[in-house]
Amino acid sequence: MTTEPKKGHVAFVSDCIRWFLAGGLVFKIYLATLLIVMGVGVYAYGRQFQEGLMITGMSDIISWGLYISNFTFFVGVAAAAVMLILPAYVYKDKDFHAVVIIGEGVAVGALVMCLLFITVDMGGPIKLWHMIPGIGLFNWPSSILTWDVLVLSGYLALNGLVPLYILYSYYHEREPVGWKYQPFVFLSIFWAIAIHMVTAFLYQGLPARPFWDNPLLGPRFLASAFAAGPAVIMMVFIAIKEKTNFPIDTNIFFKLKRIIVVAAVINLVMLFSELFKEFYTFTHHSLAAQYLYFGLEGHDSLVPWIWTAIALNVLGTLLFAFDPTKCNPRYLMVAAISLFTGIWIEKGFGLIIPGFVPSPMGEVVDYTPSSLEILITLGVLATGMLVVTLLIKPALVILLRYTERHPEQEKVGS
Amino acid sequence: MDHGKKKNAPLRTAGLLANKCTRRSFLKGVSIAAAAGSAGLVTGGCGSVASSEEAKLKWQEFFKKNYRLMTQEEKNATVERLERLAKLQRGLDIQMSNQAPINNVLYGYAFNVTRCKGYMDCVAACVKENNLDRRTKTQYIRIFELDPGKLDPTSGDGKYFHEVPVQDKFYMGVQCFHCENAPCIRACPTKATWREPDGIVVVDYDWCIGCRYCLAACPYWGRRFNWGNPVVPKEEINTKQHYLGNRMRWKGVMEKCTFCIQRTRQGKLPACADACPTGSRVFGNLLDPDSEIRFVLQNKKVFRFKEDLNTDPKFWYFMD
Amino acid sequence: MKILTLHFPFRFLIPVAVFLNCQLAMAGHDSVMDRIQTADQPFDNMQVESAYQLPVKTVLVKEPYQGGVFRVLARKDAISRYRCSVCHTRKPPQARDGAIIAHGDIRINHGQGENELACIECHDRLDRDFLVDMEGKKIDFDHSYQLCGQCHFRPKRDWLGGAHGKRVTYWAGERVVMNCTSCHNPHSPAFKTKMPETYSLPLDE
Repeated sequence: MTTEPKKGHVAFVSDCIRWFLAGGLVFKIYLATLLIVMGVGVYAYGRQFQEGLMITGMSDIISWGLYISNFTFFVGVAAAAVMLILPAYVYKDKDFHAVVIIGEGVAVGALVMCLLFITVDMGGPIKLWHMIPGIGLFNWPSSILTWDVLVLSGYLALNGLVPLYILYSYYHEREPVGWKYQPFVFLSIFWAIAIHMVTAFLYQGLPARPFWDNPLLGPRFLASAFAAGPAVIMMVFIAIKEKTNFPIDTNIFFKLKRIIVVAAVINLVMLFSELFKEFYTFTHHSLAAQYLYFGLEGHDSLVPWIWTAIALNVLGTLLFAFDPTKCNPRYLMVAAISLFTGIWIEKGFGLIIPGFVPSPMGEVVDYTPSSLEILITLGVLATGMLVVTLLIKPALVILLRYTERHPEQEKVGS
Repeated sequence: MDHGKKKNAPLRTAGLLANKCTRRSFLKGVSIAAAAGSAGLVTGGCGSVASSEEAKLKWQEFFKKNYRLMTQEEKNATVERLERLAKLQRGLDIQMSNQAPINNVLYGYAFNVTRCKGYMDCVAACVKENNLDRRTKTQYIRIFELDPGKLDPTSGDGKYFHEVPVQDKFYMGVQCFHCENAPCIRACPTKATWREPDGIVVVDYDWCIGCRYCLAACPYWGRRFNWGNPVVPKEEINTKQHYLGNRMRWKGVMEKCTFCIQRTRQGKLPACADACPTGSRVFGNLLDPDSEIRFVLQNKKVFRFKEDLNTDPKFWYFMD
Repeated sequence: MKILTLHFPFRFLIPVAVFLNCQLAMAGHDSVMDRIQTADQPFDNMQVESAYQLPVKTVLVKEPYQGGVFRVLARKDAISRYRCSVCHTRKPPQARDGAIIAHGDIRINHGQGENELACIECHDRLDRDFLVDMEGKKIDFDHSYQLCGQCHFRPKRDWLGGAHGKRVTYWAGERVVMNCTSCHNPHSPAFKTKMPETYSLPLDE
């Protein structure tokens, strides 16, 4: 780091890249692993591009699989940045103000993953320009997919541009001008709710699939997102606290834990409501739930997954709710991983796959992702992690540098 | 709008910082870069022996409009290009039609549950007529063998292969029902599928991006997706094709029953109705009060599948 | 700031837009049954020019259907030894191995259980070139529907209207339908069991 402040876009970008790459051996190994997984994913996607989606485990019955499952889950993680922004900007919480940019970094990373998951799921990705209004045909407002495209790109712009402006200002040793970015921050609060409700409406608007066709899906998505997303953010906080010298106040962990507990409990209440509706009066519409929880006509591949997911979900909620260690990082990490994994399973392929079983004509099949499909998924996940690292690491350096040089400012980000 | 694209694309990074209203131009820039790259991918798939004619045709095909927005000349031009491409790529002489719907026609279909014996002549005829993938045994029609007591195909067995008809069992066939209020049309993000004026729900295969949302939206499992490149032996390819119907498809696009649009717009019965040995399938013009389909609707107790979903399908079932 | 002013009213317009879209979607087209109720003008089938005349021999059906007259596939050409009166004169038929070369192999499987039909219940006793109805009136082979329709009057009514039987090739153009014996062997009319033409895959393979 130089003592003389440099100016301009190029300097900003080159410094950011430099700070992103700087790190010890462990960090280099971590980066290398991510790049290797991404490379393997690219190779696998090349095979898929060449031969078509038949290399996946999807069929005409279960036509959305691992890709869309992960897309659904990670839109929630992206929306969860609002759980940091809300206290920071609406309730003017100073603690959260310092770390809100980390949440936005996670959101951008999750969104990049979502867009990548959609792209790899397309049968004709080179024809995606057909959706652009003006040069293609955009079936808005009829198709919920078009709404999703709009809100996701808008959210990416909001959560990419606002922190970019803030960091750019701090990099040039000046406070970001409030009125220039704060309206967009408030907008992003509503927009975060929008992206996840719209994603839920993708499924909620299909009466052909009774497993999804219930009004609780949208609110359930929000509740699980606001439990799983902050769990991810908490994992990132713990990593930052343990591995870097960026200060994260213990208060933040307490407050974040509280947010997670509330959301996780609401999520469990909604889960109970769904289970009651499906199993108290068993109709043909409940066959999908039977397939998921108990197996149908001998097909029971998802049964161990869903029960594990519910167990992890409950365990994570309890661990967060009754924390005897007063926010010990290791304890929180275990709880976060448990809750995150549980919700990832349940909202990912525990939601998407049963929606297709049984088929509208009553036929039951299983779905097993192929190895290439798993490799592509891992590649996208690695890309997301790389993006998150790429965004957060320089951000932390910039913020730290600014606070060191301007200790008169109470806390950055105000 | 067009001149803005080129200006914004190279200045993307700076534009992101300076101009807040760049979502559209950002998308445009990315899309142009992607389209350019992908157009390269498209023509790159020609192979080393490819003539520049084939590359040029594929390029033109890639950048054309949605079928509904084309003028008649453009429609004729694309049909000619596709005929030429079939000759170059497969060595086939095909006749592709872009025949418009007949005036004052709305196609309807009725299925006689008493008469169907499960022979599946309809399925075999459909596969041949519509150039369906032989490798994955794609079939638009599915016949269910049901036990008495439930008139519901979902309780039936669609995978039987034994002598039919079995005593005390009965048979029902399903396919795309060409709904007037189709959920698939509403779901498609690019308007690649729509309902023609004569009632047939069609797919513009060149426009479909393969997102499979319509497959999720259809309550009757009426649609099929090409997970890989369809394989049809050359001698079995039906060369009388329609742009919206049985022309050769490729991987990554949706397809479905089109009521044999290449036949019905010429006044012929669809292949399934023509092939049925028991006469269980009735097809005709719903707007013709003297048609057979109207006689069925008038004189038989008909019902439609999943009526409560308000999809308004044009496929009825009846019993003698 | 510009986006701010654009988006806030946009937000409120969303429920309005969705509501309007639903209304438009439903008002944009009538339901099928509504369109059918209002469609009472006759449709000129002959306007479909590509419904060419078929190269098959047909006769005009003696009874009309709801759309007027129609044609049925002729039958006599399909009978290999028509005219029957070549052998069946007033005298008993004289042909060597007659039972083998003609139709001694016909087994009647028409009528339930013990109540099988006898040959002369359908074939005219005196003029084998014709069929005969229950009142003794002669029926031409080409118009066998008049014979079958005596007992099977419900399928016959459906056949006239179009709910039974099949049109030949075209749904448009002049109506040409199959006759009863196109599908049903008159001596053993029930459809046989056979293996299906194809099979459908198990989908999780």
